[in-house]
Amino acid sequence: MNDLVQLASLAPLLALAGAVINGLFGRNLKGNAPGIIASLAVAAGFVLSLIAFFGVRAGGAVRVNFGDFLVAGDFKIGLGFHFDQLSVLMMLIITGVGLLIHIYSIGYMHGDDGISRYFAQLNLFVAAMLVLVMADSFPLMFVGWEGVGVCSFLLIGFWYRDLANASAGRKAFIVNRVGDFGFLLAMFLTYKAFGTLDIQAVNAAAPSLAYGAAILTGIGLLYLLAAAGKSAQLPLHTWLPDAMAGPTPVSALIHAATMVTAGVYLIARTGGIFANAPGAAATVVWVAVLTALMAAIVAIGQTDIKKILAWSTISQVGFMVAAVGAGAYWAGIFHVLTHAFFKALLFLGAGSVIHALGGEQDVRKMGGLGRKMRVTGTTSLIATLAIAGVPFLSGYFSKDAILGALLTSMPLGNYGGQILFVLLMLTAGITAFYMFRWYYLVFAGEPRSKAEFERAHESPAVMTVPLSILAVGSVVIGYVGLPAFLAPNAIQEWLAPVMAHVDFEHLSTSAEWLLLIGSVVVAAAGLGLGYWVYALGSGALAKRLGNTPLASASRGAFGFDRLYRSLFTEPGEGLAEGVASLDRDVVDRGMTGLTGVVPLLGRLIVLLQSGYVRAYAFAMVLGVLALAVAAALIGVFA
Amino acid sequence: MVAFIILAVLLVTAGVGVVTLRQPVHAALSLVGAILALAAIYVTLEAHFLAAIQVIVYAGAVMVLFLFVIMLLNVGRTRTASLTWLKPAAWITGVLSLAAVVAVVFAVQRPLPEFEVINAALRGGNADAVGESLFTDHLLSFHLVGVLLLVGIVGAVALVQQVAPETRAKRAVAVAEPEDAPELVASAGEAS
Amino acid sequence: MVQTEYYVALSAVLFALGGIGVLTRRSAIMLFLSIELMLNAANLAIVAYARQWSAAGAQHALDGQAAVFIVLAIAAAEVAVGLGILVAIFRNRVSTDVDELSEVRA
Repeated sequence: MNDLVQLASLAPLLALAGAVINGLFGRNLKGNAPGIIASLAVAAGFVLSLIAFFGVRAGGAVRVNFGDFLVAGDFKIGLGFHFDQLSVLMMLIITGVGLLIHIYSIGYMHGDDGISRYFAQLNLFVAAMLVLVMADSFPLMFVGWEGVGVCSFLLIGFWYRDLANASAGRKAFIVNRVGDFGFLLAMFLTYKAFGTLDIQAVNAAAPSLAYGAAILTGIGLLYLLAAAGKSAQLPLHTWLPDAMAGPTPVSALIHAATMVTAGVYLIARTGGIFANAPGAAATVVWVAVLTALMAAIVAIGQTDIKKILAWSTISQVGFMVAAVGAGAYWAGIFHVLTHAFFKALLFLGAGSVIHALGGEQDVRKMGGLGRKMRVTGTTSLIATLAIAGVPFLSGYFSKDAILGALLTSMPLGNYGGQILFVLLMLTAGITAFYMFRWYYLVFAGEPRSKAEFERAHESPAVMTVPLSILAVGSVVIGYVGLPAFLAPNAIQEWLAPVMAHVDFEHLSTSAEWLLLIGSVVVAAAGLGLGYWVYALGSGALAKRLGNTPLASASRGAFGFDRLYRSLFTEPGEGLAEGVASLDRDVVDRGMTGLTGVVPLLGRLIVLLQSGYVRAYAFAMVLGVLALAVAAALIGVFA
Repeated sequence: MVAFIILAVLLVTAGVGVVTLRQPVHAALSLVGAILALAAIYVTLEAHFLAAIQVIVYAGAVMVLFLFVIMLLNVGRTRTASLTWLKPAAWITGVLSLAAVVAVVFAVQRPLPEFEVINAALRGGNADAVGESLFTDHLLSFHLVGVLLLVGIVGAVALVQQVAPETRAKRAVAVAEPEDAPELVASAGEAS
Repeated sequence: MVQTEYYVALSAVLFALGGIGVLTRRSAIMLFLSIELMLNAANLAIVAYARQWSAAGAQHALDGQAAVFIVLAIAAAEVAVGLGILVAIFRNRVSTDVDELSEVRA
């Protein structure tokens, strides 16, 4: 079984091979060939991930070492993969959701000029993401980390002929660099503290340091910075809404299901550090909860069908980060799993709508589309209900687990766990509210634009089949993590061997029931409020509420972009302009001035070149005079 | 010393004459005077052979050549004023340089060797003595100077030689051959 | 006997006069005369130093006078060629004014 698990090391290589084939020979591939090749590569990766999954289930964690990755004197990092319960689960999410999105992309990107480039980059992303989750050392993980960053950049700017897309990609890349910087610093500090960069060794060694040691807190905060960059948490969240410039399947795969969860994975992976640095962990939760709340409020005010989902993603990733920060690693990963399904489904549904409307993304021009797009509408409704936290759907269980974790986490108790719980509960309600708005504006009610409505049509099977599969997943996947007091919690038990230990208070069964019912009430309140505001009276109340300061703050995304613009971009531009003007006005002018001096000098020297031989002779005599005077001075005073 | 002073005064007077006299003939004759005074000075310096050569070659051959050319060219007054600033400047720098050089010369004074030593070494600077030096130590220089003189003669002849009338006519025809360049024919006809 | 320094000083006077002549006179012939003056000044210095040098012994005492002899020969050759050039120029330009020969300028 061990050998079979090792076989899974081929998964990233297969994806890479797909990327190479599409990238180098894509021009010669006709029609759907690039998509089929890419999908096959990911499908093979999925099969290998399944093998690894069952292998790990049967025989525990497996480690594969291929030799040395980096050697510098005593410093040595092995090149190897680590298959344990956490990484194989992530592999399954990446390849499983990835496969569905690849298949969907065949339909969505049909006829695009850059289709082979698209699939090459998508495969490359899968390869990098697999390396990220499979790596057994921080530097190798960083390779994957940077790889997904590059693919994200490439795919956001996929339609690079539009300047806005290209600059959105650039923005994502630059903001991510800030997080990467945190990752690098965290690695340096980790090496200083533990003398190794092997993830398992670091996790094992972390408890040996003093509980809450400053260096652990420092490392934790730096990994938080890294996670904030990739997972779009405050204050580095601004790139994700802009990342919607990329093709919709990319938004679904990279910017909802997988890459943005890399930060969650990172914190879960380095759980040994966070479990022993309660300050850092609490900071993580606070950042995450504030992000979730802020993003949920912003999502209400957006009008772009994908931007709403993007802000929702930020908010939901905030839930996950909060969970791992609180020490409920399994809950965070559980939400990663459920969110991967329903958020991918939402994005693909949105993509289907955009596809049907020929590129229209403004929800104000939609409405009533559920009648024309049965599959898309129904599946989107399932996803909406799942994310809103309607009972018996996947989101309900994972969200409940997170809320429970915040309430019961012992280390968090000293850092305002109750407040965080309330804030996140509120966020859950807002989530239900804005998701109702999203669904209602797009699929229900009366069509607001006749032309768009007439144009709408259901997407082809290659797109609707993945939607259906994801819809089924969105419903059933939650049952792997039923509340522990009701049924065996499969995912918690599955992840238990690899998770750092954090103490939780034990809630009584009645309190557990109260929590479950509370979640239902909050979700129902959010949905009901949404119905009241948007559906009743054809949205008159919505118009009235649209003038409040909170609403305008929501529309403006709390001004982060403007703040960063005036804080970083504009001084940077000013500096660049200053340097440019230095170059232009001082260096260039100086040079031009010098070139102006040369002819002037020349004209002066021309005066010497008079043509009179006697004048030349006089110059010689002057030389003689100088020599004679010099000689006389030396001779007289010597 | 008295003889030196007299000769020096003569020499300088003649030199000033060379530089200042307006008529080239006068200047040339002044130079002859200077050369003769110099020859006399050579005698006081125990260089009898050189004194003789000075008189024969310079005062005789070279100066005659000068006078010939002056008379041949019949040089007139110059017409336009040019470089008028040069005259005072030349005098000033000349005198200044002179003062500096004289200062250098007198900065370190060395005693003359004994008369006997001079006499024994120079042997009066007669033809015998100079000839021996020329034909032994300086044989190569002597020969080279001979070649140089030959080249000088050939060069002077080549420079001054007039083109024979038949040759000139032949050249004019050769230039006139290209029909499309009549102006060249005209200029060739007027040239020389 | 008169010391060498006086001869050299006299030579310097003569040389300076020649130089002044070169600078002040415009006729090419006068330039040549001045140059002859300078050559003779140099010769005078050499002869004077040759006498001073006689202390070095009979072997090299006459080197200076031999050098003067060679300078004389070179001066003769120079005059021959120079005057030839002068005549050639005069034929073309009917003038020996060196200031009129100032076409070669920038």
